[in-house]
Amino acid sequence: MKISADTGVCVASGQCALLLPQVFDQRDEDGVVVLLDERPPPALREAARQAVLGCPSGALRIDED
Amino acid sequence: MTATAQARPQLPFDRPNVLDIAPLYDVLRREAPLTRVTTPAGDPAWLVTAYAEARQIFGDRRFGRSHPAPREAARISHAAVLDGPSGDYDTEEREHARMRRLLVPAFSAPRMRRLAGRIEELTARCLDDMQAAHDARPGEPVNLHELLAFPLPVLVICELLGVPYADRAHFRQLSERIGLIDGGADARAAMEEFKVYTLGLAEAKRRTPGPDVISDLVAAQAEDPTFTEDELARLAAGLIFAGHETTSTRIDLGVLLLLADLRRRDRFAGDPDAEVGPTVEEILRVTAPGGLGLLRYAHEDVEVGAVTIARGEAVIISSNAANRDASVFADPAEFDPGRRPNAHLAFGHGVHVCVGANLARTELRTVFPALLRRFPGLRLAVDPDDIEIRHNRLTGGVDEVPVTW
Repeated sequence: MKISADTGVCVASGQCALLLPQVFDQRDEDGVVVLLDERPPPALREAARQAVLGCPSGALRIDED
Repeated sequence: MTATAQARPQLPFDRPNVLDIAPLYDVLRREAPLTRVTTPAGDPAWLVTAYAEARQIFGDRRFGRSHPAPREAARISHAAVLDGPSGDYDTEEREHARMRRLLVPAFSAPRMRRLAGRIEELTARCLDDMQAAHDARPGEPVNLHELLAFPLPVLVICELLGVPYADRAHFRQLSERIGLIDGGADARAAMEEFKVYTLGLAEAKRRTPGPDVISDLVAAQAEDPTFTEDELARLAAGLIFAGHETTSTRIDLGVLLLLADLRRRDRFAGDPDAEVGPTVEEILRVTAPGGLGLLRYAHEDVEVGAVTIARGEAVIISSNAANRDASVFADPAEFDPGRRPNAHLAFGHGVHVCVGANLARTELRTVFPALLRRFPGLRLAVDPDDIEIRHNRLTGGVDEVPVTW
């Protein structure tokens, strides 16, 4: 699994960063997504899929291996 | 009224009880994802009941909250919020972007995580009050709405915005009046009073700024000549209103859901840390505050599936209905915290997604574990079917959740 984040599309809702802080963070100044781990370990993959599906702006993407 | 108007169902639809939604939503969705309806104010609108179309319209920037010709716009209700168009057609995007830029840092996930400890302390205070009420009148039910679901979000939003908690009776009655679907002149008068109140707060913050959101807004306004007093007043009133009414209702309805079947309560109480995340998401999906939905106006002709929504037409997106779309959620009326994924639309979607979603989630994730750890034998003192719904309020909800333990 590989996650990618489009910071130009992100609306800074921060839902991903609340759900999965091991993988997502937000920039202090404008709340835009920061991807901490683009290849999360198996234990976090289900939550990562939930975060990507729930992303309100469509900024997040998953490519399954 | 014309024959067509009579044939169109009128919102809000009748619901059987506070935990189920109106059966008519399912009937309409089976026919088509979008339906022509009559608003509570008597005007025509599109109602979206299907998940995919709801998500599509939320995410489409050709829909906004303003209207190209506001005087001709369909009216939705006689409340002072969600009554009709808001904002200026030409400047909506710019003003919305400014609002998000100002508010987003205050509600970010890291800020909410830092606030969580404080929310736990405030929750513990509310639970102490519940215990005190129980001790004062042994054997009598305790109203959880009045002692926990209402005060907790108010305490939190007061600290975050910098609003005196002592003012709660005042802004509570203003919030109730602006959200009455049939409020009319009184709802508008209440909105004016609300703006006077928030401008007073803003004036106080100008003199003595604090580490709070209203001080941030005042500071931003000082730098931006296009940020009017009226916008500041409305935004602050909107934050107070949205910051407590909605979360209060989710707490009430979440407790009703968990206690309506004691197996749910016991499953949750057995391992709150593991259960809380998915349980909160499922509470957000299933609970249905309010009988309307979120409002958009088409800024140009837009094709959605088989229909064309004409420029200027009103669209009411029912997240409550979309969250029970069987093509996305199997057995949608069932409360099942085991759903994966659970991409509900309780906070909307797209650029207008609820700015307070992380605050609401943090409060909800704190309150349910704390409540059931303190009172593991908590149960309802009445049948949920007998709990009266506030049909005439935009935010729906209930006034009483009688519990005992």
